[in-house]
Order: sequence, then structure tokens, then C-alpha cells
Amino acid sequence: MQNLYEYINRFTNVTEQEFEQISRMLETVHCEKKHILTHRGQVEKYLYIIRKGLVRKFFYKNKEEMITQLAKEDDLVCSSVSFLSQQPSEYIVETLEPCSLLAISYDNLQRLYATGYHMERMGRLITLDWLLQKEAWEHERLQHDPRERFIRFMNENGDFVQRVQQKYLASYLNMKPETFSRYKHLLRN
Amino acid sequence: MNEQVLYRQYMETVFNYFRHFIELSREEFDAISPYFEIRKFDKRTKVLKIGETDNYFNIIMKGIARKYLMVKKKEVTIQLSTEGHMIHSELSFNLQQPSDCIIETIEPVTFLSMSYDNIQLIYQKFPKTEKLGRMIITEMFIKKDQRDFKQLNRTTRERFLEYMQNHPDMLQRVPQKYLASYLNIKPETFSRLKHLLRLRKTVPAKDN
Repeated sequence: MQNLYEYINRFTNVTEQEFEQISRMLETVHCEKKHILTHRGQVEKYLYIIRKGLVRKFFYKNKEEMITQLAKEDDLVCSSVSFLSQQPSEYIVETLEPCSLLAISYDNLQRLYATGYHMERMGRLITLDWLLQKEAWEHERLQHDPRERFIRFMNENGDFVQRVQQKYLASYLNMKPETFSRYKHLLRN
Repeated sequence: MNEQVLYRQYMETVFNYFRHFIELSREEFDAISPYFEIRKFDKRTKVLKIGETDNYFNIIMKGIARKYLMVKKKEVTIQLSTEGHMIHSELSFNLQQPSDCIIETIEPVTFLSMSYDNIQLIYQKFPKTEKLGRMIITEMFIKKDQRDFKQLNRTTRERFLEYMQNHPDMLQRVPQKYLASYLNIKPETFSRLKHLLRLRKTVPAKDN
């Protein structure tokens, strides 16, 4: 679990003992593609770390799927507000590829926090990182027009083009699938 | 009211706010409270400009402030905050990097503020505040996500009505163009939607 160790150490240095403690609370989950991890209306019980695979988070606006997150290896994913507030989820979390995930339950995470200030600190800094990613994405969406958003996203996440259906990418970038197709010539230059 | 009394009132507000999140004794809070400072600004003052590093986490004790981005020479309001709310540039403050947004007062504002250095100091000196910090960040995350969700999921009309019902005083206190921008509604549409408020008053409120 080298990746997880590195991930956590980005925020705070954990001792080997603390990392052991964290590892014991994790469950390994394997699932097929198109598996729904969290249904709408369900309280999110787990926070997932992706070891292998792709996951999307979305909701239905009338009948249209609106994707708000595309997560790949080493990303955290779950219906975050439901997880944090333990209220029913507005979102659906679904795998797009066969996935291997590490999961920590809400209860286990609270137990971990209760073991000491150091774990609280880790929790604070990881939650802050979530918040800042959300903030940065909001600014990104507002400050750039669809064309710029497309180019910037593709430069950072080139592998998504092969792995994710175009309509999903278009939805995530909040543009029509036709617009997305039209922009694809920009990638060749 | 004299300044001392006001200050004690502000501190009491914050004490009660913190106690929503963690068990905190009066003595513990008294140890933390000297790290706060009162900051006052006139109306229409830029508290944070683009390119500056945000050094303060602010809780509004009095007044209204907004946060906005400049998008191709147009202002896009992303936060409107009043008494009891927190306002700062999350990215600039926490990463100590130049801000891409502006924080400006709308009315004269009194902030209860804590500097970046003092917050770090408090986490070190009073480890109990780690949990407090996590809970406050969690609450901010939830609010932000709910706003994003509404922007995407609700119609213009729904966004307008919901906001006006939950914040009935804002129409008097905030210029319409800021409200329209915050709700992502065109100013003309916003003006048109206002007739819905007059209709509402004659209809008995429902029990939900």
C-alpha cells in the first residue's frame, strides 16, 4: 500500500504504527464496471480510495445525468456530502471500469480520529484538500470558456479520452456532446 | 453601545459557535480568544485584492461582504455573506498563494479575524482545535457542495425563490446586480422574477 502511505504523508507524517492502525481499518473492495457503489437516497457509508479503475459521481437533472466527478487511480471518491453529514445522498456513485478500491467506513474513520490529535490533524488536512479542490474547480469553471476548459482538462487528463466515454467527459465539463466532439481537433495541434 | 460590550458579545457568539462542534470550556476558549482581532472596514472597501495573499480568516460580526472573480472584465459574485458567516479566499489563505478573487464589503463591516500564523499557532498550542478546524472545514465543504448542486439542479426561478425565502432581508441590503450574479441569473431576468415575491405575500404559506 505504498500509494496510500505517500498520499497520507502529503498531509502529515504518520508513524509506522499509525499507518498500521489506519491499514487495519481499511477494507478491500473489488467490483465490476457499472457497479453502483452508492444509490441516491442511501446514506454514504464509505470513503473510497481507488487503487485501480475509474469511478464517476453524478446526479439526475430531470432525466439528464450530470457528472460532477471523474475519479481515477489514487483519487478519493464517495458521495462526499452524504458521507460527511450522514444524510441521504443526492448523488449516485458508479464504477466505469472494473475497480479495486480501498474503503474506510464512516464509523471506522471516527474511531481513527478519536485515537488522537494527530489523526484529527490528518482528517482536517485531507478535508481541507477536498474543499480546496472544489474551490479550484469552481474558479476553473467560471474563469474559462468551454474551449479553454476543454484544452486545460485534456492537457491534465489526457488518458481520460481513451478510458471515458465522450458523453461523460462532456457532461463533466458541462458542455454538449456535440461541442465536445467539435473541440477534439484542438488536441491534434 | 460601547466597544468593550460589543467585543464581549462578539466573543460570546464565537464561543457558542465553536461549542456546536466540540466540547470547550470557558477557560479553554479564553486561552484562544486573544488570538482574534477586530477589523473594521467602510462600505465598498476591497479587503482582499487579486494577487495579494489572504492573511485572514474572517467571521462577519456586522455587515455584508462579497467575494467575486473577474471573468473577462465582468464581475462574477461567488459568495455573499452576512452576520455569522465566514469569508476568506480559501485557496489563497490556506495555500498562502496570490488570490485570484476579490473580497469587498457592501455595507460597513466588522470582522472578527484570525491571521494565518495565529491559526497555525493555535493548532500547535491547543491540539483540541484540530477537531474544531476539521468540523468547520466540513461544514464549509457541505455548504459549498449544496450551492454547486443547486446551481446545476434547480431552474432559475427555483433558485431565485429559494434564496429569497431563506434570505428575505438581502433584497434590501444588497444591490440587485450582485444578487443576480450570485444566483447566476441575468439582471433582466432577476427584475422580472421579482413580481413572484409580491404574489407570494398574498398566498398563505405552506407547512413545509
